Amino acid sequence: MPSILVVAAREDWPTDRVVKTLTDRGQQVFRIDASDFPQEATLTGYMDNVHKGWTGSLRTSHRSLDLHDVAACYFRAPNPFRLSPDMSQPERAFAAAQARAGFGGILNALSCRWVNHPWAMSRAEYKPVQLAAAQLVGLPIPRTLITNNPDEVRAFARRIAGPIICKPVASPVFIEANELKTVYTKRLTEADLDDLRGIETTAHLFQEWVDKAHEVRLTVVGERLFATEVHATSPKAHEDWRSDYKSLKYTPTEVPSPLKYKVLGLMRDLNLSFGALDFIVSPHGEWTFLEINPCGQWDWIEHATGLPIADAIADELQGVIA
Amino acid sequence: MSTVTQTLAHPREAFPLAPEGGRVPHSAEQPSGPTSRPWVLRYAQSPDATQAIPLPAALYDEELQLSVGVDTEILPFMQTHTPTIPDGSTTNPPPLDEGPKD
Repeated sequence: MPSILVVAAREDWPTDRVVKTLTDRGQQVFRIDASDFPQEATLTGYMDNVHKGWTGSLRTSHRSLDLHDVAACYFRAPNPFRLSPDMSQPERAFAAAQARAGFGGILNALSCRWVNHPWAMSRAEYKPVQLAAAQLVGLPIPRTLITNNPDEVRAFARRIAGPIICKPVASPVFIEANELKTVYTKRLTEADLDDLRGIETTAHLFQEWVDKAHEVRLTVVGERLFATEVHATSPKAHEDWRSDYKSLKYTPTEVPSPLKYKVLGLMRDLNLSFGALDFIVSPHGEWTFLEINPCGQWDWIEHATGLPIADAIADELQGVIA
Repeated sequence: MSTVTQTLAHPREAFPLAPEGGRVPHSAEQPSGPTSRPWVLRYAQSPDATQAIPLPAALYDEELQLSVGVDTEILPFMQTHTPTIPDGSTTNPPPLDEGPKD
């Protein structure tokens, strides 16, 4: 019987919503977290010159999945493999690499519908790749500089001749001094550029500030676009809406037709069937692409707007044409 | 054919997982000095914990393959819709809405 394989963290509750939607439809679902492997899950993969692809199974104490029955896979940031605590550190590193190549490799090789394929997701996480792909399909982007050269930062600021912002190129969240910290988008003043010590320590991203009436969180599932205007009512949220959720108002909206086709082109180029895209919409109604999150959050948008995103993900996994 | 060159190189990236020790590794180390600390980190801040919504107690149900409430029959995913608001706890970092997962 065709099954949908869900590879996600157990504690990822939006995934629960997708699983519930699928099982309510009578769909066979096999959910696993990579942390179940190898201690609580058994993988057996076999390949020969007769059968196409990997044959074999994934088993847990509660269920079993024939690899040939996998019609689709929902892949969403699983936890790391949980290895025996008795292993030495070199053994753990070795075993983790073997698990990644063996368990991860067999899953990667499954020929099925993906939301999203891990390779595509990994590649699309890179902001420079996203921006290059967006530019190629004709989506307007902010002028952007990535550098570790302070002189280039000053030159970029002069060239823009208007406000610029900085934001992390990669994950904004970290813990130091036993404190969780994050770095939001920061609109810079001239004084901020007086002291650029530390620029040379790593890659830094700068962009021109784009005047905004509001932002749009565009959740794309297959060919379906769920656009939501995000209106910030505080100065903090106007710079980065993640910094002040309480000040946000959400309104479903439509994507202008020419833009829609460019967005779908971007999804094709990045080989993604799911993405959460952020746009700035100017006071004149022009849309500027900021970024795409291949593993972006969507549940709170569904709750705020009623847009049927979980249903759309389930449709995509089941191959239902909207 | 894709219009963008495939950039995938390292096999670690081909099967993205949270790193060992959690998505955001814990550290008690203090910030270094201005010449060695990444410049952008001067704008780092602690998230506004007052905006976080407490998560309901939950257990993972192996049969249902989803989390169920401890004190209520309402499923946890139906009780919270604010997944990206951190509560400031170092042991409960937010799900990342951006950035590499590996």
